[in-house]
Amino acid sequence: MYVLLLISKYLRRKLAPLFACLAVVLCTMMVIVVMSVMGGFLEMLRASAHRLSGDVIVRAGSITGFEQYEDLIDRLEALPEVAVATPVIDVPGLVKIGTSSIPVAQVVGIEPGGYDAVVGYAGTMYWQDHHRVAAHDRAFGPASEQSPEALEAREQIANGAFERFGAELAVPEVWRQRPDERRAVSGAIVPGIEVSPYNGRDAQGQYDFRHTLARYGDRVVLTVLPLTRAGGLLEPETRAFAAVNEFKSGLYEVDANRVYVPLAVLQEMLGMDEGIAVDEEGMPTGGVIPARVTEVLVKSADGVTLDAVSAAVRAAVNAWEVDHDTSVFTMTWEQRHGVLLNAVENERGLVTFLFAVISIVAVVMVATTFYMIVLEKTRDIGTLRAIGASASGIALVFLGYGLAVGIIGAGVGSGLAALIVTNLNGIQELLDAVFGWRMWNPQTYYFDRIPDRVAFNDLLWVSVGAVVSSVAGALIPAILAARQDPVETLRYE
Amino acid sequence: MSDAALIEANGLAKRYRSGSKTLEVLRGVDLSVSRGEFVAVLGRSGSGKSTLLHLMGGLDRPDEGEVVYDGRVVVRAGKRGSNIYRLSVVGMVFQAYHLLPELTALENVTVASMLHGGPVCWLRRRRVARARAEELLDKVGLSERAGHRPNKLSGGERQRVAIARALMNAPAVLLADEPTGNLDPETGGEVMAVIEALHRDGQTVVMVTHDDAIAERADRRVVLERGIVKVEGRRTKDEGLRL
Repeated sequence: MYVLLLISKYLRRKLAPLFACLAVVLCTMMVIVVMSVMGGFLEMLRASAHRLSGDVIVRAGSITGFEQYEDLIDRLEALPEVAVATPVIDVPGLVKIGTSSIPVAQVVGIEPGGYDAVVGYAGTMYWQDHHRVAAHDRAFGPASEQSPEALEAREQIANGAFERFGAELAVPEVWRQRPDERRAVSGAIVPGIEVSPYNGRDAQGQYDFRHTLARYGDRVVLTVLPLTRAGGLLEPETRAFAAVNEFKSGLYEVDANRVYVPLAVLQEMLGMDEGIAVDEEGMPTGGVIPARVTEVLVKSADGVTLDAVSAAVRAAVNAWEVDHDTSVFTMTWEQRHGVLLNAVENERGLVTFLFAVISIVAVVMVATTFYMIVLEKTRDIGTLRAIGASASGIALVFLGYGLAVGIIGAGVGSGLAALIVTNLNGIQELLDAVFGWRMWNPQTYYFDRIPDRVAFNDLLWVSVGAVVSSVAGALIPAILAARQDPVETLRYE
Repeated sequence: MSDAALIEANGLAKRYRSGSKTLEVLRGVDLSVSRGEFVAVLGRSGSGKSTLLHLMGGLDRPDEGEVVYDGRVVVRAGKRGSNIYRLSVVGMVFQAYHLLPELTALENVTVASMLHGGPVCWLRRRRVARARAEELLDKVGLSERAGHRPNKLSGGERQRVAIARALMNAPAVLLADEPTGNLDPETGGEVMAVIEALHRDGQTVVMVTHDDAIAERADRRVVLERGIVKVEGRRTKDEGLRL
């Protein structure tokens, strides 16, 4: 009991425990903030990567794609582990916006409904009705002063008349009807928000509607390279599309390099659509050449694990490969984005490790403080030994002291860390308002907000680590205290 | 060992090494203390008085000889046994008081009782212990100062708190190492009055001092010189102390 009494008394001393606690508080706080922010980025990346790929991807071995994908989709959707599957073409291409030609790494042909069901495509549309309503009001003045026609158009916009066109990859009829040659397009296109050279992020990380291609369905010219089934290069195919929206997935590499077009149109451009078989002289043989795609994306049924759906898909794909004498690759979304995710995961691990190493400072600080306390308390130790305290009891006083410092330090540190992390964006705004300095500039970094979610698992482990480190810091001074000769310590002045 | 002896030092020798030199502090000291006896150990500085007291208190181990308490050799009791011996058998009072500065007078006295058993055991007997600590402070005339820390107490008051602490576990032997050494004669007299009162109540006391006047108050005095007992004297009822 004297151990508890002495710990409580020693904790009330002024500076020594305060410094030890402060070291633990700062290190705990630092590590938790770093882990939470880095973990937040990783989670955002993972969510974005997952959103782009569905759960499982069945991919052709080459850019020429594979046939019989409808049969594959039917077989996959018959599996209880699979909710829905959708065909996709993913090929390289060239985009021309205004006078700028931009090499785009990915031209992705999709069936919007199925693609949305698998990856939540509609939710990535950046431009919403409110952007358009605001733009309309800027053009026509306040709603109270607008003409009946303008108000009707405003009503249409506000009711989602335009917003759905991006999600459906459809060109609004109002644009098609305009007597403007520039509007003669093959279909709708939805580029990534970073594809257009006219888009730029402001200090809040937002894009300006006035500069978007999607404002009036600007013409985007797309060029792709069709290939024969054998992989032979054909003449480039160029068509114009109307930009009906732009998407933001959250992965910069994707948003700067991908455009979405309707699957059927892209199949036509690439010669991957269904065709009539001809003989060597070009005469119809009466047969049909099946359409091709490069990928089928699969979304798992609710409650099915990634491993389970992956195994089921692999089994179905194997059977399909045998039946159609073809070969494809099957991978999970984690495998597909493994390079990026592992890089960020490793970076997070490295930064956490570095901060944990820095946190050894806390252990040294606690050890130094406790050593000073042991020196200061030498006579007290002798007194306690003289009146019957055991050496282990003396050690317990200092270990318990370290434990108490660790618990208080870890508690306060993790509390402060949680406070800082959850208010990071507010703190940034405050720093910006007071000093004009932004620690996180969305113009430079892709995410417009600093991740502000506390990783409670990390918080728990870091707190436990802080307490253990604190006790470890107190260990050597505790052993030294316990080993002191009581006679010598009583003589100590 | 005599029949009436409560605690005995038999041929105690203690050497300290200082570089290449060996300092023989005690060279075969024999001392027997009976139950209820008040023994004063006198001697010059460096004569081995405090070392003898430390050995008898189980704080240190002799190089030769043994301390026997109630027929049992203390040194053989091991570390745990030594702790229990210091906790239950002897109560020690030091010249420099050695109170814990963070604790109040009452806590300084009570802490001796806390060394027994764990927290649960303490919770069961904390009221009794507190009552005894208050009683002891009252006995040494400090009940009004129970809530004060050592830095708010005078030297004499601190020493009386130290005596109360030494008595907390009702020790068989009170070992006092120059208890008046840091005090002026008047305050020293007050402290001695407390010790004498305890002795009158039957407390066995072994007190180290270099002050003849203080030693006069003991039943018996033992003079140490260069690590051996030089002279022993006993006070008779009528004649006072005789060497």
